Amino acid sequence: MNQPSGPRTRPKSQSYPISVEHVTKSYGGATAVDDLSFVVTPGRVTGFLGPNGAGKSTTMKIMLGLAAPTSGRSTIGGLAYAELADPTGTVGTSVESDAFHPGRSGRNHLRILADATATPLERVDEVLEMVELSAAANRNAGTYSLGMKQRLGLAAALLCDPPVLVLDEPGNGLDPQGIRTLRNLLRSRAADGNTVLVSSHLLGEVEHLADDVVIVNEGRLVTQGSLADLRQSASLVRAASPHALQAALEAAGGVVESNQPDTLVVRGLSLDEIGENAFRAGIALYELSHHTDSLEDRFFAWTGDAADRTQSNTKEDQ
Amino acid sequence: MNWSRIVRAELRKLTSTRMPLVFLVVLGVIGAATAIAVAVGTDMDGSKTFISTATDQQSLMAFAGNALVIAGLFGAIAVAREYAYGTVVLTFLTTPRRPQAVLAQYAAVFVAGSVLGLVGAGISAGSVAAGLTMTDFGFMVSAADLAQVLAASTLAGGAGAVLGAGIGAFVRNTGGAVTGTILLLVILPPLAVQMASETASWVPGTLTYAASGLENVVSVGAAIVAIALWAFVPAAIGLVSVTRRDVV
Repeated sequence: MNQPSGPRTRPKSQSYPISVEHVTKSYGGATAVDDLSFVVTPGRVTGFLGPNGAGKSTTMKIMLGLAAPTSGRSTIGGLAYAELADPTGTVGTSVESDAFHPGRSGRNHLRILADATATPLERVDEVLEMVELSAAANRNAGTYSLGMKQRLGLAAALLCDPPVLVLDEPGNGLDPQGIRTLRNLLRSRAADGNTVLVSSHLLGEVEHLADDVVIVNEGRLVTQGSLADLRQSASLVRAASPHALQAALEAAGGVVESNQPDTLVVRGLSLDEIGENAFRAGIALYELSHHTDSLEDRFFAWTGDAADRTQSNTKEDQ
Repeated sequence: MNWSRIVRAELRKLTSTRMPLVFLVVLGVIGAATAIAVAVGTDMDGSKTFISTATDQQSLMAFAGNALVIAGLFGAIAVAREYAYGTVVLTFLTTPRRPQAVLAQYAAVFVAGSVLGLVGAGISAGSVAAGLTMTDFGFMVSAADLAQVLAASTLAGGAGAVLGAGIGAFVRNTGGAVTGTILLLVILPPLAVQMASETASWVPGTLTYAASGLENVVSVGAAIVAIALWAFVPAAIGLVSVTRRDVV
């Protein structure tokens, strides 16, 4: 995939944060999204993570006006999607990976979008080139592989060169080269001040792509923040009396995990606070350092069994 | 909101698959069957009385009733497939004010249905004329009556397509939309007439005949209004349901 050029000019100063404010969505008695709030900041790539059924797709549909929230609201640049003066020119999206008529060519799929958005038809060929789909553009979309469908969906999202991208699992089915190019493309757009929200269950992909993450589980926000901060929000402690130190740190408000006999992973306390508590308890420390988890470790810690089920389902699917 | 561009997008949707071609083939098959019937068919007594007058010939080429059903199926399939394939998501993303998006869909299927109706009536008239060359009878239908047949079929095609589109938008399932259209246009009207004979003047078959100048129980104007109402009610139900529902 090649780097985009844009058909529209837009004030560079205008930015479009995505804001989800206390959104709840219920279907009958089931709550898919439960009082969810978070903000997606322009200029950064935000990963939207959660196990299957966590409410990611529903939240994205609410952002895009495809589903109405039971309560709360979601805005893009301060306005609901339907209130945007130029919705498709503002938000590029790919929320259904196979939303194509199987008997319609990829080129015609994009031409329909170009007609509806008053985009010059030449732009269709540009974005087809950008996602390296020109050679297959006249083939019916029903003959495309999953990766080609993803590329076509991405081409549709980029057609109007929007300052906001909302993409649902865009890396699904892409080969490693495609994933790398997608990553570069999204990072480049974020670097230009655009807003990029990407949902994914491929944690390794998000780890390499996202600046920020929003993690949801069972419709609720689990955590949100800079990926670097979230991964480094723990401290590693080796001590002479780990059980006594664990009790002291928990009494001081820390959250302590003990995975190895003499080693503790502590959250909620700074290195200084851990050291002071150990000193007061008279416990010798052998090691006290920042601990960096992988995103996968943190994800499972935050989402628990639900993520385990997702992961095993994904492996079965593969 | 620029109506012309979203209607153009909807028209491109309709013309960028093979579906219109399939319907044109169906019209061609009906036309060929008509020509053969005119050329070699006879009445019970072996005569060709059924083509012996201008009214008989006009009745044979009157296509409005067929146009209503065929275009109804076209509209139903065109819209229901949008939901089945998920392409309606793009429609509502480009035109998030859903009433406008749905009205643009209706406008596009009205145009397509009208074309199907006009082409169907044209093929039908041509088939009758071609079949007559194989008989001892000439073409007796006046230009004015022929024009009325073509106009009625065009109108019925447009109305039928909107009716089917309304059912498609409401049902969102291709099989269900086709079934609903056949129920409404083919199966329920005779049942309604059997239960209440006074409804006979207002069922699609009678109305399309009246609009084609072949029935006097209602005026042409009243028939046109009634055909439009047959389309309006399902279309309004489809519009309201789309506006109120989530797109999933």
